[in-house]
Amino acid sequence: MEEIRIERISKDFDGFVAVNDVSLTIGSGELFSFLGPSGCGKTTLLRMIAGFESPSNGRILIGNTDITDIAPYNRQVNTIFQNYSLFPHMTVFDNVAFGLRIRKTPKSEIKDRVGEMLALVKMEDQAAKYPDQLSGGMKQRIAIARALINKPKVLLLDEPLAALDLKLRQHMLIELMNIHDAVGITFIYVTHDQSEAMSISDRVAVMNYGSIVQAGPPDDIYERPNSIFSAYFIGETNLITGEVTGIEDDYLQLKCPDGAEGFFEIDSTFHFQPTVGKQLTVSLRPEKIALSRSKPRYQDDINMLRGTIEDILYLGSHTQYIVRVGALKFRVFSQHKRVYFDEKALDWEEQVWLFWHDTDTWLIDEIPDSSLGNKEQPDTGVNHFQRSAKRLTQV
Amino acid sequence: MSKTYKHFQSERDVISQAAEKRRNLASWALTAPALIWLIIFFLIPYLIVVIYSFLTPDIYDVKFELSLDAYRQAFNPDYLMTLFQSFRLAILTTVLCLLLGFPVAYFIARAKDKTKNTLLVFIIIPFWTNLIIRIFSWRIFLAYNGVLNDMLINIGLISQPLEIMRTDLAVILVMVYVYLPYMILPLYSVLEKMDFTLLHAAMDLGANEIKAFFRITLPLSMEGIFAGSLLVFIPALGAYLIPQLVGNQKTLYLGQVITYKIKNIPRNWPMASALSLTLLFFVAILLVLLFTLYKRSKSRRIT
Ligand SMILES: Nc1ncnc2c1ncn2[C@@H]1O[C@H](COP(=O)(O)OP(=O)(O)O)[C@@H](O)[C@H]1O
Ligand SMILES: [Mg+2]
Repeated sequence: MEEIRIERISKDFDGFVAVNDVSLTIGSGELFSFLGPSGCGKTTLLRMIAGFESPSNGRILIGNTDITDIAPYNRQVNTIFQNYSLFPHMTVFDNVAFGLRIRKTPKSEIKDRVGEMLALVKMEDQAAKYPDQLSGGMKQRIAIARALINKPKVLLLDEPLAALDLKLRQHMLIELMNIHDAVGITFIYVTHDQSEAMSISDRVAVMNYGSIVQAGPPDDIYERPNSIFSAYFIGETNLITGEVTGIEDDYLQLKCPDGAEGFFEIDSTFHFQPTVGKQLTVSLRPEKIALSRSKPRYQDDINMLRGTIEDILYLGSHTQYIVRVGALKFRVFSQHKRVYFDEKALDWEEQVWLFWHDTDTWLIDEIPDSSLGNKEQPDTGVNHFQRSAKRLTQV
Repeated sequence: MSKTYKHFQSERDVISQAAEKRRNLASWALTAPALIWLIIFFLIPYLIVVIYSFLTPDIYDVKFELSLDAYRQAFNPDYLMTLFQSFRLAILTTVLCLLLGFPVAYFIARAKDKTKNTLLVFIIIPFWTNLIIRIFSWRIFLAYNGVLNDMLINIGLISQPLEIMRTDLAVILVMVYVYLPYMILPLYSVLEKMDFTLLHAAMDLGANEIKAFFRITLPLSMEGIFAGSLLVFIPALGAYLIPQLVGNQKTLYLGQVITYKIKNIPRNWPMASALSLTLLFFVAILLVLLFTLYKRSKSRRIT
């Protein structure tokens, strides 16, 4: 089978660089996602793979064939458009049969294959309807059937679930995975919704400003973000800056200003070789931090901080605490398992201990945009580092 | 139980009936002026035409003696030939307007918003000038010693002036010029609403630009093609002014013949009326045919 190679692709719209030097290899049969904020160039990249936009630079290959200059109707690539783009003047059957009719397939074969496809997307009984008689989820299925009937080498999906409501979205996500397993072709999936990308993909490429920030399996990106942007964009995190004060075998100490006058020290394992005196950012996922009223028993691979509970948000499956340490605010998720800690629930303004394992302190070789100042709006419940990362995602 | 329910039901019926009556009254009151206008200035004159068509001609007026002579004459080969000429002109005008108008409408619909408005103004500008004045300027343009011939001779394309004025070609040229906006505007309004990503979808599924046009753009602009064709075809069928002013006076169109029957002494009102009604009859048949076709293609959709 054939892989897709994107080689140094760029797209320039009159001086505005929408896609910036992207290189990637997507394996055959893979379910690959592009994830990034709106406007980061996902659709443009997808349109170049489909052939609706020609790259300013670079090549796209399927197997050993360079498809960069091939017309969209001659590529073995099909697209699920953002708003489905079903043909309003054709029945469901005619919509699905469109690609086959264009290729002058015999009538009997068309009938069989449309039937097969409608069965695949569970829409056998809707063949005679028109698109405006279908719900969003149904249109989605028809769009998938209409694309897959052409047996493309790659299926491109541009935010296919964006128009559906939450429950249907979750349902269709599973359905899409099942369809992917059933047909076994490469899916390239574009979304700005990190939970969608995380749950569906074999691999994810995180994009920002037209470039790929990080590519890898979802858990890899979540657990080992290579940048403030990936750490912040995928899931939630606490970002803290600090200076390396000492390095020993397989861990190091960081001295972190707490935003007020003081500082605290934390230990961390590391995955790149820092030097003493270097400024770093730490990403600490809210669910990795535990809270306790009493001081935890000392262990040399545990970090401990003293803080004050500032806000409590009950979210059903878990509770989110905002804990103040100096002028920094930590977001902490705590599941409601009272089996282990049979104590009274934590309350506003209570003094607590935050603690987490050294290996959960994830180092990022980057410091946030300093122009934001150190104590920008300390009352909003997130650290100023988080805001600066947020700013990155918004532009 | 069921009784009280019934009682309640009937009471509601009474209320809604009263409301409906009021609503009917209001809509009658609102439509009445237009309706009266139409009755006085459209229906009654038509009735007079119908009555006149069954009377006997006199030099200036009619004699009130019933006769079917007018119809007998209207269906003689000469007049049927004139009818055929008129249909041919109307069909030719409609087809040419469609072929020329479609690309224009398409281009405007796909233009940027600002350009769009400017272009639409250009389409509408001709309406600001009186039709007769515009036709006369065509006469100056097409005349034997006119602007067009001067230009063609000056650039050396021809050595002798062309005889365009007072030919069928001149009639067609001016007809298309006058009726083109009536084709472009309805086409533009459907194309403007069309979702052009559908063309991308079609190309994504293997259709080249030509196939995408015939399978997507064309069927989706049917409504505009239909409306535009009617707006051009029906007035073109009764064309009088243009053939009169730029046409040769050997091929007469029905509009001209009808006018002559009234203008030239001895007058023949019944004949003019019968010809008008014959024309109306054919147009009506055509309309019914087209509407059924159109409805069928639509109802197939709204099941
Ligand atoms: N045809 C175009 N002309 C000019 N700019 C464009 C065009 N298409 C997209 N862009 C710009 O390129 C950027 C990326 O757009 P897009 O690929 O649609 O982003 P995404 O799908 O990630 O939201 C946006 O800033 C958008 O305004
Ligand atoms: Mg997009």
